[in-house]
Amino acid sequence: MDRVAGEAGDFTVTLLRKPRYVLEEKCTGCTTCVEYCPALCPDAFNQGLSQSKAIHIHYAQAIPLIAYIDDSCLYLKERKCRICEAVCKNRAIDFRQKPETLAVNVGAVILAPGFEPYDPRESGRYGYGRLANVVTSMDFERLMCATGPTEGEIRRPSDGRPPRRIAWVQCVGSRRVTPGENRYCSAVCCTYTQKQVILTKDHDPEAACTIFHNDVRSFGKDFERFCERAARLPDVRFIRSYVSIVGETAGSNVVVRYATASEGVREEEFDLVVLSVGMKPPAEAARLAERFGIALDPSGFCRVDPAHPLQTSRPGVFVSGAFAGPMDIPESVFAASGAGARCGELLSRRRGRLARERVFPPEKDVAAEEPRVGVFVCHCGANIGRVVDVPATVEYARGLPHVVYAQEQLFSCATNCAKEITAIAREKGLNRLVVAACSPRTLEPLFRDTLREAGLNPYFFEMANIREHCSWVHSLEKDAATRKARDIVRMSVARASRLEPLKEFTLPVHKAALVLGGGVAGMTCALSIAAQGHLVHLVERGEDLGGLARRLHTSLDGMDIPARVRDLAERVYANPRIRVYTRARVVSAEGYIGNFLTRIASDRGESEIRHGATVIATGADLYRPAEYRYGQDGRVLTLLELEEAIARGEERVLGAGRTVMIQCVGCRNAERTYCSRICCSAAVKNARRLKELNPAMDVCILYRDMMTYGFREEAYREAAERGVRFIRFEPERPPRVEAVAEGGASVLRVVVDDPVLGRTLAMDAGVLALAAAVVPAADAPEIAGLFKVALGPDGFFKEAHVKLRPVEFATDGVFLCGQAHYPKHLPETIKQAYGAAGRVAALLANDTVVASGAVCEVLERRCIGCGSCIAACTYGAIRISETKAGPKAAVNPVLCKGDGLCNAKCPTGAIVLKHFTDEELASQIDAAADAAASETLNRKAG
Amino acid sequence: MENLADYQEIVDLIRANGGEAFKRCFQCGLCDAVCPWNRFRAFSMRRIVREAAFGLTDIESEDLWRCTTCGRCPAQCPRDVRQIDSGTALRRIATEYGVFPPTARPVRGVRGSLMAEGNPLNEPRRKRADWAEGLGVPAFAEGMEFLYFPGCYLCYDPRLKKVARATAAVLQAAGVAFGILGERENCCGESIRKAGDEEAFKRLARENIKAFIDHGVRKILVSSPHCYHTFKNEYPEFKAAFEVVHIAQLLPGLLAAGRLAFGDGRARTVAFHDPCYLGRHNGIFAEPRAVLSRLPGIRTVEMAETQADSLCCGGGGGRIWMETPRGERFADLRLTQAIEAGAEVLVTACPYCIANFEDSRLTLGLAEKIEIRDLTELVQEAL
Amino acid sequence: MNQENGSALTETVRLLCRTPGGPRFGDVLVVGGGISGIQASLDLASAGFKVYLIDRGPAIGGRMAQLDKTFPTNDCSM
Repeated sequence: MDRVAGEAGDFTVTLLRKPRYVLEEKCTGCTTCVEYCPALCPDAFNQGLSQSKAIHIHYAQAIPLIAYIDDSCLYLKERKCRICEAVCKNRAIDFRQKPETLAVNVGAVILAPGFEPYDPRESGRYGYGRLANVVTSMDFERLMCATGPTEGEIRRPSDGRPPRRIAWVQCVGSRRVTPGENRYCSAVCCTYTQKQVILTKDHDPEAACTIFHNDVRSFGKDFERFCERAARLPDVRFIRSYVSIVGETAGSNVVVRYATASEGVREEEFDLVVLSVGMKPPAEAARLAERFGIALDPSGFCRVDPAHPLQTSRPGVFVSGAFAGPMDIPESVFAASGAGARCGELLSRRRGRLARERVFPPEKDVAAEEPRVGVFVCHCGANIGRVVDVPATVEYARGLPHVVYAQEQLFSCATNCAKEITAIAREKGLNRLVVAACSPRTLEPLFRDTLREAGLNPYFFEMANIREHCSWVHSLEKDAATRKARDIVRMSVARASRLEPLKEFTLPVHKAALVLGGGVAGMTCALSIAAQGHLVHLVERGEDLGGLARRLHTSLDGMDIPARVRDLAERVYANPRIRVYTRARVVSAEGYIGNFLTRIASDRGESEIRHGATVIATGADLYRPAEYRYGQDGRVLTLLELEEAIARGEERVLGAGRTVMIQCVGCRNAERTYCSRICCSAAVKNARRLKELNPAMDVCILYRDMMTYGFREEAYREAAERGVRFIRFEPERPPRVEAVAEGGASVLRVVVDDPVLGRTLAMDAGVLALAAAVVPAADAPEIAGLFKVALGPDGFFKEAHVKLRPVEFATDGVFLCGQAHYPKHLPETIKQAYGAAGRVAALLANDTVVASGAVCEVLERRCIGCGSCIAACTYGAIRISETKAGPKAAVNPVLCKGDGLCNAKCPTGAIVLKHFTDEELASQIDAAADAAASETLNRKAG
Repeated sequence: MENLADYQEIVDLIRANGGEAFKRCFQCGLCDAVCPWNRFRAFSMRRIVREAAFGLTDIESEDLWRCTTCGRCPAQCPRDVRQIDSGTALRRIATEYGVFPPTARPVRGVRGSLMAEGNPLNEPRRKRADWAEGLGVPAFAEGMEFLYFPGCYLCYDPRLKKVARATAAVLQAAGVAFGILGERENCCGESIRKAGDEEAFKRLARENIKAFIDHGVRKILVSSPHCYHTFKNEYPEFKAAFEVVHIAQLLPGLLAAGRLAFGDGRARTVAFHDPCYLGRHNGIFAEPRAVLSRLPGIRTVEMAETQADSLCCGGGGGRIWMETPRGERFADLRLTQAIEAGAEVLVTACPYCIANFEDSRLTLGLAEKIEIRDLTELVQEAL
Repeated sequence: MNQENGSALTETVRLLCRTPGGPRFGDVLVVGGGISGIQASLDLASAGFKVYLIDRGPAIGGRMAQLDKTFPTNDCSM
């Protein structure tokens, strides 16, 4: 990136393309050059923990999967060597390449340069770089990984021994005002540490894992449950103390000193210490800011307005991902979709003018051919290969009926391997394909495209799961695992031989969206979809738009919430593409992606709405506390009620001598195993406001773990600076609240045990505010039922994939955003709403969508019209229609999800699930049961 | 059970005395983890901080007087609780109320001596320049480059007088123009301030500043990091700014300029101990090591805890005046570390450190194993 | 961006859209090929925009590619 000129809608960006010295179109990624290259250099992808060569492929699954030459090349440095040129059979090496400048003209820019992991050497205080067995969490990721320097065996750097006692040190480079470290919380480290602990215990169940922390921040969806899962593992300790890394023993063990309130200071030895490093702005942040003329915040991240969290200070330049501050993967993903939506708003007129479709060769008709099966067995780096004998499995596959070809691959999902499969399928005339690798959940679509590339129907594909179902669960029984892999492959080959070609459906898309919920999420989403050129029906159950945000007044980041909500509502009402339905209720919902039909009863009467996409933005409710005298004593409020009272200027609140707040009321308990995410920040916000309005007031916040993640940590510190007192309590010893008669008056007394003091503190509260949990909306189950989407274990709507599909449901064409998904702060809600709008627009931009061919079909001849299948179908995909031969069931193929429940209910076997026919499944079962055949073959294969 | 209302006054009192930063603590425990005391006995700075935040401080407690102000916890504190300033606030209150637990009682005598004679050692003011007898050290006069300010221990303590004399000899050999104030010199006041007697500190500081101004002093050369620290960082509170140079900062330049000629020198292995107030508090780490590297015959080794992680000798924060029982003396551990590192000589640049190390050397019976030197003494020996 | 500013911008863009672009005329430039940049590019492409995705490294994938597995299912990061 060199220069930027122009303005929103018409930027000219000059790019500088660095030479790879390898011709992309010629390199096959064979790595012969890498073998011969004499120049060793630290492998940056492996965090410098292993060596790489000057010419190498960035990592095993890199896209593009071709070599490049870096600065350590002897020829580039000293004009000698050129061995790679000599060994490359394809003549792909080209040392004449020069840096290339190219100018591109674009309407908008999205900046997503990510973040830089904190380098502990900056503070000089953690022994990193000095003590061999102190590593960062990024290093540890590589140490755990099958493609890492130790091939997935966790070995410590000093002597290569597997570490038994491992300590994680939290907040390295975060939450600290000390020079060289950052003041904000990096928001992701607590949870990634728990993940590392769980994976470490998978690698070595004997490993003793200790996490040193000060607050476990389990504020995200499913975080709390995950944390408990880690904590319940044997030999896992969470210790609330930051540590001092003292040094190392003669045996290179790391000595750590820490302090607990109960036992004082202890010194302990660990085989390995992992520093849970936080996030820093990306290295090129300052340069990007200068080139693009955008503002950075004081910590060096991209500055964003909380009300417009995807927008930089320069119009037409948007931001997504961790460049806008520490965030996790799901947020980075929906922010990306959101930034896409913002670009779409700006450029909607230009849509479709420049894109090109992927073109596949015409499909061959192989109906008349005998099955010719190709089997590809994947090592998955070491994930499979370490346990299952892959070459023996390949050899075995060669002997199976119909198999005409078999081979092994390091990563079948890598670009080069997929290309190889296509090429071999053509060359050997394969008409069925079995890939023995992982679960079909993620990669089946990729391999189906591989078949298409070879001119085959994509349904001639079968995935044999020898990873999740085999190598991962039988890691200690290698021989048995190899036998099982053979069984699985045999079954898959049997089924593949009987697979039939299926047709996918092309459906028209009705270019309108239905947005359920008129809060900030729904309004933001509706406005963005409308701005991208589509009609929106916005349905609100209440009398007016605004949702829960109407009760909010201030925010930690200075957003004027009432003004923002008013502005949104006005824009929604004024937008000709948005139709608002208030006091509305969904009467019925049917249809499918591209073609939904929903009936609404509202102020407008009964309406029937056709729409191509549905967005669920129905928000959440608040828990009504039964604890701490709420409802019995007028001085006890919820935090939200406190906020409203402050906004009204109520004297009994502003004039109180002391306000006490109790956190985690109604959540993080057995009944609700989740953290409501927003309450700690809300407590800090209101405490700060009270101190502003009445500096003499004593404000005490009773908490379990302060969840002021990200930049909110600054507000936590500022509140302490203003004199707000924070008192931690253990969940086993919650605060006690009682009304005490004293001097003729009733005193509201809160009593709590301070773990550091080891003393019981009593405080007489003028006002007691309870951080009442955010709970799923009461109508969530009903809406989930109507739109056939799922709720998670906490009762919030469940997205299709936590990380990669955070704003959509498993049900196609239905999306979600806002607190319906999980409690969240307004800027996050806004981001997610744009994210959903981006995904909706990506759907509505197309005139058609494709639906799966693996759906049910009724053999009318056998159908007796009994209707059992209709009751079994959760998608409403089956109807009875009158035919000449009487009532018969008929499947709407686009609604059918192919779950096959109806098949089991049909008394006459009249309904079948294509791609999972009885014949196909029976062949698989026969193959499994065919022990004799299996034995013989096993012997033959050796 | 403690009702917070009953302790609010104490909270306010602590704040008024400079303990404002206590409120920032988020109880991560790092101060306890890095505190040298916990190598010897249980001592919780975190607890002191937490008690102060709620006004629950036990003003008569020994723990209030334990901190040596070594600076390790404030250097690492993620919330900038400023344990030294905040801890001093508690001592101020104790001083104001005249509450001294047995360990801290000597502080009262020290105050008397400081007020009467300008030094904490109960020595007569008139003998302040006796160390220089026969060395031809002139009284400071305008136009001289440096005022040499040896500080109380170098003026009176028999062991440390040698350091003062060595300094004079080295300066003379290098041709540095310097003079002393003699009787007009007062204790710098650094340690009495940390012991909670703000009033005494102010009096001493004002008198010193007056003497410096009266004599037209611009550059002050000191041997004690404690003098250095207060002149450089605390006297500016009185709007008095002088250029302050510690001898360890001056020597590298003299050596580099070839102003000192050395003989062959005796082969010795030495370890440098970073005094808290030279190193951690003021960032002077490289200079003394640069001096050692230029001395003939000297081989240097580093001890287990060096530079920013240096282990305190135990003498700061007024602890130099208090009795520390055997088994709790930081200096004992430091000597062991020096011997483990293979040092024959433990070199430092602070009178408190030398006093404590010499004491440990005798009480531990290590006289044969290790010697204690000031950096300047080592330079003088090499001349 | 306030409302007024926004509509002025949309107008500029509308005008620009009527003028044909050169061979390098694209719609959106995405800087950074990590998970966020990839997702943004995919979304924009499926919504019908031409996208230039640039990264300073030799391959896309970013930091997430370096992770072994991910919370909460411990799925492979690839």
